[in-house]
Amino acid sequence: MPRATTPPSDVLRRLLDDAVDDDYGAAVSDRQPGNPTLQRPAAAAIVVVVAFGLLVGIAAGQARSGAPQEARERSALFDRIENRQVTIAALTDRLEQLRQQILDLQGTATEGNERARDLLAGLTTARALTGAAPVIGPGVQITADDAPGGQSGPEGKVLDVDLQVLVNGLWQAGAEAVAINGNRLSPLSAIRTAGRAITVNYRSLSPPYVIEAIGDPQTLQARFIETPGGQAWLDLQTNFGLRFELDSGDSLTLAAAPAPRLLIQYAQRQGELP
Amino acid sequence: MIPVIGLFVGIAAGLFLDPSVPVALQPYLPIAVVAALDAVFGALRAYLDGIFDDKVFVISFVSNVVIAALIVYLGDQLGVGGQLSTGVIVVLGIRIFSNVAAIRRHIFHA
Repeated sequence: MPRATTPPSDVLRRLLDDAVDDDYGAAVSDRQPGNPTLQRPAAAAIVVVVAFGLLVGIAAGQARSGAPQEARERSALFDRIENRQVTIAALTDRLEQLRQQILDLQGTATEGNERARDLLAGLTTARALTGAAPVIGPGVQITADDAPGGQSGPEGKVLDVDLQVLVNGLWQAGAEAVAINGNRLSPLSAIRTAGRAITVNYRSLSPPYVIEAIGDPQTLQARFIETPGGQAWLDLQTNFGLRFELDSGDSLTLAAAPAPRLLIQYAQRQGELP
Repeated sequence: MIPVIGLFVGIAAGLFLDPSVPVALQPYLPIAVVAALDAVFGALRAYLDGIFDDKVFVISFVSNVVIAALIVYLGDQLGVGGQLSTGVIVVLGIRIFSNVAAIRRHIFHA
């Protein structure tokens, strides 16, 4: 046998030499010496060959049917998502129209009535303050982003808490209205991580994060840097390489917060109207 | 001739009847096919060498498939399923290659 002369370490060589099962050779030497010719395969061998074909066929069928199935489900889901997005956009437009209509009607209804005019003025202020109405004014624009250059891991990323302390700092510095990537913060807005993205008003944001705040253009920026939020961000910038840029804006336009973020169900007004 | 017809009957049955494989057995199917392929090419080479024996073929086929499935199962249980499967594929792949090379030498004398 060649195996005896092969060094045992030469595994690959042995594998190549022994490619045919030794049993075939052993079976031949067991056979009577008078009958070494080719033998017709018997029924058992044919059954095994059919089984082999079956195995190959099933495997091929599985490989073929598996992939398109997933692709079909995927595209069906995409279609549904797109349909829903179109519906949402249409409903949002309708909502905006109706809201404008309400404002117009309020304007006409209160003409010539002193008390009604006062109420309407108070309502307008409240709407601007709570984020129910779009606002325009001077302020700061802050751009925050993950550390550049693949510095992955949690250290190089902007987290929800980072945005929270930033916005807190802005309120503390005297901001009157704040929006993140165009999502206006209402009293009910939360800044939180959902999955891999930070969401504001239940909308997922993607970096860079642009935070716009309306406030006193003379003091807002300087006071913000003094706040713990501003200090924390200067730390993040120097220690972890996060992008943090402050710009002043003469005329920032902040859209209204979405209607669901302005609904209250349980809190009720106490006392008389002013 | 009959084995070749049997092979095609088997493939056609597998493709068109599309028998459903239990989910628990699905991970073992691909490696069972590779093991079976090794047994079949070994048998073909033995046939051309003139030393084919159907008892050896049947036993080597069944044991190849069972052992391959067992190794995958064992790997899954030990948490090294991927690596063990790779080992089996490598060994069987080398054997298939050298058997096919021998078959090629028989058929084309090159």
